[in-house]
Amino acid sequence: MGQLAQALILGVLVGGVYALASSGMNLIFGVMKVANLAQGAMLILSSYLTYSLWEATGLDPLVLVLLTTPSLLLVGWVTYYLVVERSRTTDASMALVTSFGLALVTKGVVALVWGNDLHSVSPGYANRSFAVLGMKLPQAQVYATMVAAVVLVALYVLLTRTWLGRSIRATATSSEGARLIGIDVRRTWAASYAIGIAAAGAGGSLLSVLYPFMPSTSDHWIGLLLSIIVLGGMGSLPGSVVGALLIAVAESLTTTYVSPDWATAVPYVAIIAVLVVRPQGLLGARLREDMSRA
Amino acid sequence: MNVPHVNTGTAWASPRRLQALAIALAVTVLALFPLVSDNAYYQNMAIMAFLLAVMASGWNIISGYTGYISLGQSAFLGIGAYTTALLSIHLGWSPLLAAPVGGLTSAAAALLLGLVGRRTRGIAFVIVSFAFLEFAALLVSNWSSVTKGNHGLALPLPSWDRDLLNIPFYYALLVLLVLTVWGSWAIRRSTFGIGLLAIRDDESKADGVGVRTDRYKMLAFAASALPIGIAGGVYGYYISFLEPAAMFDIVIAMQILLAAHLGGVGTLWGPVLGAFLLEPLNQFTNQTLSGPDAGSWRMIMYGTLLAVIVLFLPRGIITESRAWLSRRRGTAPRARAGVRLTDVPATLPAPSLPRPAGELPSGEPLLRVTGLGKAFGGVKAVDDCSFTVREGSVTGLIGPNGSGKTTVFNLLDGGLGADSGTIELAGRRIDRLPRWRRAHSGLARTFQATRVFPRLTALENLAVPSRSYSARGLRAGVFTGEEAERAQEWLEFVGMGAYSHHLAGELSYGQQKLIELAQALVLEPRLLLLDEPAAGINPALVERISDIVRKLNAAGTTVVIVEHNMPLVLSLCDHIHVLARGRVIASGPPREIERDPAVLDAYLGDNQAAMAGTTSGANR
Repeated sequence: MGQLAQALILGVLVGGVYALASSGMNLIFGVMKVANLAQGAMLILSSYLTYSLWEATGLDPLVLVLLTTPSLLLVGWVTYYLVVERSRTTDASMALVTSFGLALVTKGVVALVWGNDLHSVSPGYANRSFAVLGMKLPQAQVYATMVAAVVLVALYVLLTRTWLGRSIRATATSSEGARLIGIDVRRTWAASYAIGIAAAGAGGSLLSVLYPFMPSTSDHWIGLLLSIIVLGGMGSLPGSVVGALLIAVAESLTTTYVSPDWATAVPYVAIIAVLVVRPQGLLGARLREDMSRA
Repeated sequence: MNVPHVNTGTAWASPRRLQALAIALAVTVLALFPLVSDNAYYQNMAIMAFLLAVMASGWNIISGYTGYISLGQSAFLGIGAYTTALLSIHLGWSPLLAAPVGGLTSAAAALLLGLVGRRTRGIAFVIVSFAFLEFAALLVSNWSSVTKGNHGLALPLPSWDRDLLNIPFYYALLVLLVLTVWGSWAIRRSTFGIGLLAIRDDESKADGVGVRTDRYKMLAFAASALPIGIAGGVYGYYISFLEPAAMFDIVIAMQILLAAHLGGVGTLWGPVLGAFLLEPLNQFTNQTLSGPDAGSWRMIMYGTLLAVIVLFLPRGIITESRAWLSRRRGTAPRARAGVRLTDVPATLPAPSLPRPAGELPSGEPLLRVTGLGKAFGGVKAVDDCSFTVREGSVTGLIGPNGSGKTTVFNLLDGGLGADSGTIELAGRRIDRLPRWRRAHSGLARTFQATRVFPRLTALENLAVPSRSYSARGLRAGVFTGEEAERAQEWLEFVGMGAYSHHLAGELSYGQQKLIELAQALVLEPRLLLLDEPAAGINPALVERISDIVRKLNAAGTTVVIVEHNMPLVLSLCDHIHVLARGRVIASGPPREIERDPAVLDAYLGDNQAAMAGTTSGANR
């Protein structure tokens, strides 16, 4: 019983961080209808940035979210205007392929700068745990989830309570409609993309404290992010949170009761199962396109 | 009305001949190469280029022709390699003989993927294919009792004379490449291939004109994975050591994507050309870049290359240079602004299908719709709708906007599933049949917002519709013999004979309407559903379309028209059903309908009153 409760609670805590990590990709998907395969590499980039800043300044890595988020916002902004926007004029698959290319370049650059070996960020509380009702909850995990919750709420407020958020949502619903009522759609796309990458910035900092990482870890993250947004429903922020919680709890239960080796398979099984059973995800727009267009 | 012929100069130098000559030359040179040179470096480069070319050509079948972008195609390489390795280790088979079994296993795995992803399209399929690759890799690395997991699996060493070096691998992959390209060519020119292109352009439309899209896709998946799986077996033997990380590598998937995009996605030779260009670059960087950073530089290079291709050469070398050439030579089909459509011939093309033998019992309608219902959430678009259509009639379906006319059409052709009610065509229930079977049983339609296959030519658009499904039918060539002639005849019948080689997507709206109409007619339907055939086109074209409808009807086709152009409806139709709020509120010949107060009310007045006044007479 204690074991089950521990697995569930850990799953929920991890899920909070996953939710933040996937929110950016989901935002980009919702607004631009492109699965940004570079998102995993962006997470890793931010993890390494956190590592270097932490080494250099000794600041708490969770506080460094305040630096990595704007840095990645900038990266996203520049990438959008340099590459992403131009790939959007042609075939829909082109934007996807381009994001794949971006992922490779980012991964390569990260490997060049920081090398290919495993890095980890371990602040003083890295190995400490809170003991609650006989359960052991890693302190880093608890703090990271709290920060993730704060950033997610901020993102939610940004999307629902501000002028920019309203134009982002309008553009997501219909870019043509948004253009007609005078929204600068081009800038809105750029802003959505940059905010999406910035969310990966925050997520990457949190993840760096929780798991060791190397450049190829980005492949694992992209699989995880895809499974979360497929499960939760593409383009839905609340869906992202639900999907992330479910995936994390499933992983945690698999680790506890099956084996850690198979926990890595959870996202892929989830993707396949969801797309077979309920392709529109739990909350969110229909993915199946088997309806008549007329 | 002849197609503008490409002037090709003297016959011996026709592009077709030159191309055949070039292919023969290239194959000969490649076949002779190991005999004249024993340079191991170049041999290895060629082997790797063949491998990549086979994989990219395989990928091209599912992603280029069919439009399902797969990021997981390298999984089939791994599955083929592991199958081959296990067969040779445990059963003592020679790996080169076991490789075809590896190919079959890969094809079976592809069918599984196809089954899983059967309802997914576009981006969802990309994700499924990616998940498939990662899951296959995990399965192989965790199933260590069989695959030795991450420790890797060693294959037996080649049994042949050491002097032969890699020559057997070279020829095995060269033969595989030739077969793969030949297979890809055969698919491209067959009925099967044109169906795949139609799926790429508009899958549900393809379904609606009788293409068994489910089967087509499964076959395409299998055909795509088979050569990759065989190549995996040979490749595994070549490198003689398998590990999951290397065999199920997303980087290989990326190289496939890169090669295909470089050469030209969806073209026959593009993937091969791309692979032959990319592999030397690969080997070159392998040589020049060494040390711990080599992998990183290669990733940066590939990523940049991918982005550069997408941004500056989006259609690939072959397609772009073809377009450039035909612009220079002026051989592209010219825009024919102001060219008149040809007159509608007096007679229809001769029917190719036997007319249904069993005539309907007298008094039995061709179409009987009973109690049809469809709700979208809380909105009842069609609500207890019943009507009949007499064989040989032109029946109008009119009603205010939102009265459910198009939804009725969607329910009839199977684009939507009905919540309740039955549909009988010539006495047979069709409401549970899949869409393609409704097309096979004699139903065809056009769409209000015209739907043609934009990246196919007008003639190819007419080659897609199919009223039967058979293995032999799939193999038949599209552009030869009777089929092509018939397609051309129908194009002429709607007056579009001069446009047969124009891409449908580049034609005007009115011309697309005619193409779509001809597309429905190729099916030789017993019942033709026209959804607003006169909307948005000029009066001359409206006149032409009503002329066509009259001729069709005279030849025995039953027609149902949804239309807002009242004079047209009144002049064409001999019977009219009026829909309001998803049900039929009045039926009768045009003269009566014109004066029916309930109808006037439904169009002009308060709907509620009309409903209340006519419910009793609605469902005769």
